[in-house]
Amino acid sequence: MPVSTKPPNRVIPVLALAAFACTWLLDLGVVQPNRIVSGTGYGLYAATGWFGAVVVSSLLAVVIVLATKLTPKRFGALILLLTTALMAQPLLLEVFALRKLPEDSAYARIGLGAGFWCLAFFLALMLLETLGRFKASRRLQFSVVLLVVVSWWFCASREGLSSLSLIREYANRADQFSQALTTHLSLSLGAVAISAVLAFGLALAMVRRERLRRPLLGLVSFMQTIPSLALFGLLIAPLGALSAAYPFLQTLGIRGIGWAPAMLALIAYSLLPMVRNTYVALMEVPEPVVDAGRGMGMNERQIFFKVKLPLALPVIIEGVRITTIQAIGLTAVAALIGAGGFGTFIFQGLGQAAMDLVLLGALPTVFLALAADAILSALKFQRAPR
Amino acid sequence: MQMRPWITPVAWVALLCALAALLPSMAPLFSWVEPGNDNLVYTRDSFWFLLQSHIWLVLVSATIGSLVAVSAGIFVTRPAGRDFLPLVSQIASIGQTVPPVAVLALAVPVMGFGEKPTLLALVLYGLLPILRNTLAGLGGINPTVLESAKGMGMSSAQVLFKVELPLAGRVILAGIRTSVTINIATAAIGSTIGARTLGDPVIAGLVNGNTAYVLQGAILIGLLALATDSLFEAIERAWGRAFSI
Repeated sequence: MPVSTKPPNRVIPVLALAAFACTWLLDLGVVQPNRIVSGTGYGLYAATGWFGAVVVSSLLAVVIVLATKLTPKRFGALILLLTTALMAQPLLLEVFALRKLPEDSAYARIGLGAGFWCLAFFLALMLLETLGRFKASRRLQFSVVLLVVVSWWFCASREGLSSLSLIREYANRADQFSQALTTHLSLSLGAVAISAVLAFGLALAMVRRERLRRPLLGLVSFMQTIPSLALFGLLIAPLGALSAAYPFLQTLGIRGIGWAPAMLALIAYSLLPMVRNTYVALMEVPEPVVDAGRGMGMNERQIFFKVKLPLALPVIIEGVRITTIQAIGLTAVAALIGAGGFGTFIFQGLGQAAMDLVLLGALPTVFLALAADAILSALKFQRAPR
Repeated sequence: MQMRPWITPVAWVALLCALAALLPSMAPLFSWVEPGNDNLVYTRDSFWFLLQSHIWLVLVSATIGSLVAVSAGIFVTRPAGRDFLPLVSQIASIGQTVPPVAVLALAVPVMGFGEKPTLLALVLYGLLPILRNTLAGLGGINPTVLESAKGMGMSSAQVLFKVELPLAGRVILAGIRTSVTINIATAAIGSTIGARTLGDPVIAGLVNGNTAYVLQGAILIGLLALATDSLFEAIERAWGRAFSI
């Protein structure tokens, strides 16, 4: 395809200019005297000196120049440049900490400013756009994401960023953090697993008996309409009454608050996407394919496991993907009824007005959701009939 | 106009209003969940006020969200903005992966506590389903329909308003419905960052261990969601009849 005859791509220059404006107008970082006080902000130049300012600005200028005429060679250069920039972005904070953090105060810490987030956001968007235009393979996309994540992980564990407030909050709660991770994952994945089994049964029943279809779909979509906070709240009274009436339930940990109502609500929410996708997937297996199976002498059981299920799998996995993402988000809300997980940090932080504690809960939740999306999309793609 | 589809939403709305007005006088009913407690009804604000404030937040965010999302969707499907289409549609789908409660929490460091960060989170998150459905709706129109509209001598503005938007309207409306459903739930959680919504009684009840408060808030939030959903159902049916081709 003759790339050069195309009009120049305007998306990347626009994004680069926006990143440029954000880094110069917004604070890159904040120096806080202690955990609660909001502190003083520093822009890019004040925070990292002329060196940092020149590196960031010239990077964005080079990106604009490269994007004006996108030849395949330049695509490669652009991907390499943007990936490196994203990978190295935490170093800006290290320079900032080195220059501005008062050495005599044990409680002083640096916080992330809006400029830092905006720069990361626009760099990521430019990378996304470049990878999209380049029609990059899944493997390339995956490696780029992996490189950036590993690099940020590595930077966060270095000495230079130990004064970052987010990392301080983490260091104070390392045990609670890993416990929250376990709780969050086991609640959301447990709910997904249980609802997958239930939904499979329900979908099979719907396939066999057409008249069950409307009431069952109506019921599961009714449950999906109820807002999460309301459903969690409505489950407290009945579960509390149950555990008061049957003390042995209490020894199992089933009470009005805690993991039991959270699990029930999560399963209820997970049913709709799971049932709908499984049902649609099983119904949409083309009849001629099933007939061909029969013609080959397969019995009904073999047809189901060897023909229908493999063909339906991508759509079923899509249902699992939607459900998992949803469950990870809802588990964060379930912290309000004492279920634990990353939501605990979010709501504790909101209660104490400690923004970094809020971040410590919110960022891993977002990360888990994005990771679940990436993994299950890859799985679906791999299973898709070619 | 047929009246029948409107009966269900009207019934839900009537039940919601009646409960919002009558819950305070139903204290004896709640004494069985909180025996021995004198504070049986949430009184810090009236349920009416909380209901109005909740609806107001959702309404404002849905209006802003719809306007922005539909205009953005239109812009990236015109020749002038087509460059941005792949990126915008990717943002719309990746953005929906982020949990709404995280967006709500992340709005606080940016804007502090109160109504404003809640509104920001509701608008930002509510945009995505509408944007995605606008793109799907406009992209799903058969190109030959557009060709024949142009062939009839319609200007591009006429094609947009007389052909494309009516045809895509149902899908866009479905996006608005999804967005409003999510936002009713998210606005309830907005109580934790200082917005005044029906989530207040639930949160207050959870903090003080008062199940009666939790129930009152939860019942009203649930009814609000069901009433809104059935309203959208009726609107979608009416739209379907008006533009059925």
